[in-house]
Amino acid sequence: MPAFVHYPLLWGLLLVGVPVVIHLINMLRHRRVQWAAMEFLLQSQKKNRTWIMLKQLLLLLLRMLAVAVVVLIVAGPLLRNQFGNLLGSTKTHHIVLLDDSFSMSDRWADSSAFGEAKLVIQRIGTEAARQRQPQTFTLLRFSRVARIDRGTQPDLLEEPVDTGFSSKLDEMFREIEVSQTSAGPTAALDAIGQLLGESADERRIVYLISDFRARQWDDPTDLQEQLLQLNEADAEVHLINCVDRARPNLAITSLRAAEGIRAAGVPLLMEVTVQNFGTTTAKEVSVLLEEDGHSRPGTRIAEIPPGRAVMDRFLVHFHTAGEHQMTARLESDAVAADNVRYHALSFPVDVPVLMIDGSPDARDARFLSIASAPGGPVRTGINPQIETPRYLSLNPLAQHHTINLLNIERMDRSAVEALEQYISAGGGVSIFLGERCRSQFINDELYRHGKGFFPLPVVGQTELLVDRLEKAPDLQVGDHPIFRRAADERFGFIKTVIVQRYFAAPDGWKPEADSTIRVIARLRNGAPLVVERRFGEGRVVAFLTTAAPAWNNWARNPSFVVAMQDMQAYLSRRGPSEVSRVVGSKLELELDPDQYQPQVRFMKPAEYAAPPATIDAAPTADGSLAAELAETDTSGIYEARLTTTNGTSEVRRYAYNVEAEEGNLKALLGPQLAARLSGVKYEYRQAVAFQYTVSELAGYNMSEWLLYLLVLLLIGEQILAYSASYHPPARSRTLRNAVFA
Amino acid sequence: MPDSKRFLHPETLRRIARLDLRARHVVEGFLAGMHRSSHFGQSVEFLQHREYAWGDDLRYVDWKVWAKQDRFYVKQFEEDTNLRCTLLCDVSASMRYGSQAMNKYEYGCTIAVSLAYLLLRQQDAVGCVAFDDSTRMIVPLRTRRNHLDSIIRALNVSEPENKTEMYQILQKVAETYPRRGLVVLVSDLLVGREGLFRGLKLLRSRGHDVMVFHVMDDDELDFPFTGPTRFEGLELPEHLRCNPRALREGYLASLSSYLEEVRRGCVRNNVDYSLLRTSEPLSAVLAAYLSNRLGRHHRN
Repeated sequence: MPAFVHYPLLWGLLLVGVPVVIHLINMLRHRRVQWAAMEFLLQSQKKNRTWIMLKQLLLLLLRMLAVAVVVLIVAGPLLRNQFGNLLGSTKTHHIVLLDDSFSMSDRWADSSAFGEAKLVIQRIGTEAARQRQPQTFTLLRFSRVARIDRGTQPDLLEEPVDTGFSSKLDEMFREIEVSQTSAGPTAALDAIGQLLGESADERRIVYLISDFRARQWDDPTDLQEQLLQLNEADAEVHLINCVDRARPNLAITSLRAAEGIRAAGVPLLMEVTVQNFGTTTAKEVSVLLEEDGHSRPGTRIAEIPPGRAVMDRFLVHFHTAGEHQMTARLESDAVAADNVRYHALSFPVDVPVLMIDGSPDARDARFLSIASAPGGPVRTGINPQIETPRYLSLNPLAQHHTINLLNIERMDRSAVEALEQYISAGGGVSIFLGERCRSQFINDELYRHGKGFFPLPVVGQTELLVDRLEKAPDLQVGDHPIFRRAADERFGFIKTVIVQRYFAAPDGWKPEADSTIRVIARLRNGAPLVVERRFGEGRVVAFLTTAAPAWNNWARNPSFVVAMQDMQAYLSRRGPSEVSRVVGSKLELELDPDQYQPQVRFMKPAEYAAPPATIDAAPTADGSLAAELAETDTSGIYEARLTTTNGTSEVRRYAYNVEAEEGNLKALLGPQLAARLSGVKYEYRQAVAFQYTVSELAGYNMSEWLLYLLVLLLIGEQILAYSASYHPPARSRTLRNAVFA
Repeated sequence: MPDSKRFLHPETLRRIARLDLRARHVVEGFLAGMHRSSHFGQSVEFLQHREYAWGDDLRYVDWKVWAKQDRFYVKQFEEDTNLRCTLLCDVSASMRYGSQAMNKYEYGCTIAVSLAYLLLRQQDAVGCVAFDDSTRMIVPLRTRRNHLDSIIRALNVSEPENKTEMYQILQKVAETYPRRGLVVLVSDLLVGREGLFRGLKLLRSRGHDVMVFHVMDDDELDFPFTGPTRFEGLELPEHLRCNPRALREGYLASLSSYLEEVRRGCVRNNVDYSLLRTSEPLSAVLAAYLSNRLGRHHRN
């Protein structure tokens, strides 16, 4: 039994009696004719009576039916869900999935994609409120999907729709703005299934209101499956697109510190990357910079080709130790959220660097130490600490920014494991070989057929046998951060370095193509001298010669100082605060209960004036304390204020940024979506042109089919009426023509 | 309207005045006239020779033949006679129908009177029978000019009524006028076909030259009615409420077969048949008919 949009109009069905009334009136209005030739008339009537009666009845029926169909079209018949019909249910559940990722803040003229989305929801709500049948409404924003498992409810969950529903939506929308997340529809569609479960006694209409960016919809295999599941569950799917085209947009996709020592008073190079998501070249792009919230001279990028990213570098100089922050901003464009990017930096007074020397006189360590921290007016921020190999087994290593192994004869297995663990966690290790080193130990304990952290096998010490009369540098370096300054052509000191002895690699050894092992410096005979590899999160650089001027004269060369400082900067581990986090991800802290009290106060970027949220860290299985902040919906610098067990305060800063790729405004329109969602039954609409009629809202619109039926009925009526001679003949055929022919 | 003007139309009379109504078949008259008689007699028109028999008038012996062949032959001549025309005019209720200036009754009577005028002007004897289910009025055959008034009075009934009973009428005419003559039947022929044909056959068998003027109204031939209509029979008690357009096709088919049947029946009985529409100008129709008939007569 179909429902109707305008039930009162069904009274119009009484109009089906009109043809009968007209017939009766015509019967009364008939004229009387005194007729002579009754004989022929009676014959005709006798002959055609049955057929005429049948045709007239059919004609009457067709006319009554046509009137009824017109009334039904006006009343707006709605075909309900099949199962709902079987069970006699008339409840309709409107499920609105609202994309509030920051790309929805796409602005044009006096509107925005999110504004259009709100208008669409208003229209749906208004029309739903007009329905006579029970209507419920669920509104779920993409950004809130991640919180559902943490107890966060959708904005509206099976909310009954009544007459005041529209004003309720109005009130709610005053507070809802675009989030800074990049949440996609996949999680939202999953969440809907979990929230609503199976219900056979209601009709469900799912509205997916989004900007359908290519990032999520270009290869929508998962989405296609989810939409097909909705189809199988007899839910109607409406895809409503809030944008009509991709607008140009610039985004800061990266703001980070380049390799370097982070220490108070030591300049640090930073990199900012701006991507052009538009289709035309962006010229003279200004990047405004702030250090700890204070403006500083920005940078200017000459031009950014369409679809490309351009990186620019600049120096920052924090004179005081502690937590610092950098902010980069672009001028306003279509999407604001990706025009700003934050970076948090932790600057200690100096950086502890461990130097493990295997020889009693620690000669190599001392040369390296002096090169790393020469002292005097030049601050390198490096604080070298010279220890024996036993130190590795007995002390925690995590506090050291780099560890340098020099002329080590052997180490305990525990020391090797501690080092491997240190490197895997992001630490940097340099290794200088020397006369005390043994190739067997290196190969068996440190290299271990590539499983250890040492980057290559060695065959033993060897002399560099070359013709010294031939003018060629012994040390040939590639383009690498360690040698970039030292090998600068303007100085040329590195060309005077002489290497007499080194540990040779096996003949024919070369790094595998898919490995992270890279030879960054070779001897003039082609033998590798400096080899780098990544191990876990950390880096290892192996020098196959001594640091001290025993096998070479490099330590007496000015380029050594430069190279060693750059090496310390290159290997220096980054603090956890320097990692850029994506908005929406949890901020998790792991605390040592011996050092910190469990109360952690979190400060959000926009709420510095508000009292901080205090969270008690919970003990974990491994005995540490864990505290987390889930509400990280805005980009900016988050602060965690800790209190140590001895009562002092400690502040940690964490930068949260939007996912830069969300700023790519390339969107898919109806035909492109149709090509990618083959097999899925859905209705696609543009939000701007979205005018929901009641029938569309409430179910399948039967009016169109009824219109076709009406046309057929009218054609049939005309044919029947013509055959029943109710139309005047095309030409008056008189008997005279027949008789006098 | 004076009786004499109701059925006498000067225009019609003017157009037919110069024409003659000739009997197509041999008729019997009582005066010498322009029509061939069935009797031999004094005339200038030689017909045939016959061998002399005893008692023949010697005046008609053809002496030239006797001189050549030595045999007696007598000459026989056609005898001319005047025409005895009986006008049978249908004044039944069905003749009352009319959608034109004249209804069928008036149209038919005008034909009859016009013909009477013409015949009297030719010195022929004209009689008239007005009938419906029986003979309402019989006017004997006369040749006087003032006899026209009698005919007009006989036809001028106040209101046509009753239905037509054709066979009895024709039978009565045949009995009333035993001598061969011209019988003109003016009717809408909405009668039983069997009785009509039997009657016509009877008249023909009695030697009458029969002319039938079949008068029909345009509405009856074209059936142009639209809209809900109640048809009430003029002669039949039935009535019919219908949409005329729905029945038109069947009506025209029935009418067509009826007209065909009448035409065939007349031809079969050697009766001169003519279908007239009341919308057609009577003068033209009658003039054309008489001219046509005259032409055929000469050819005969």
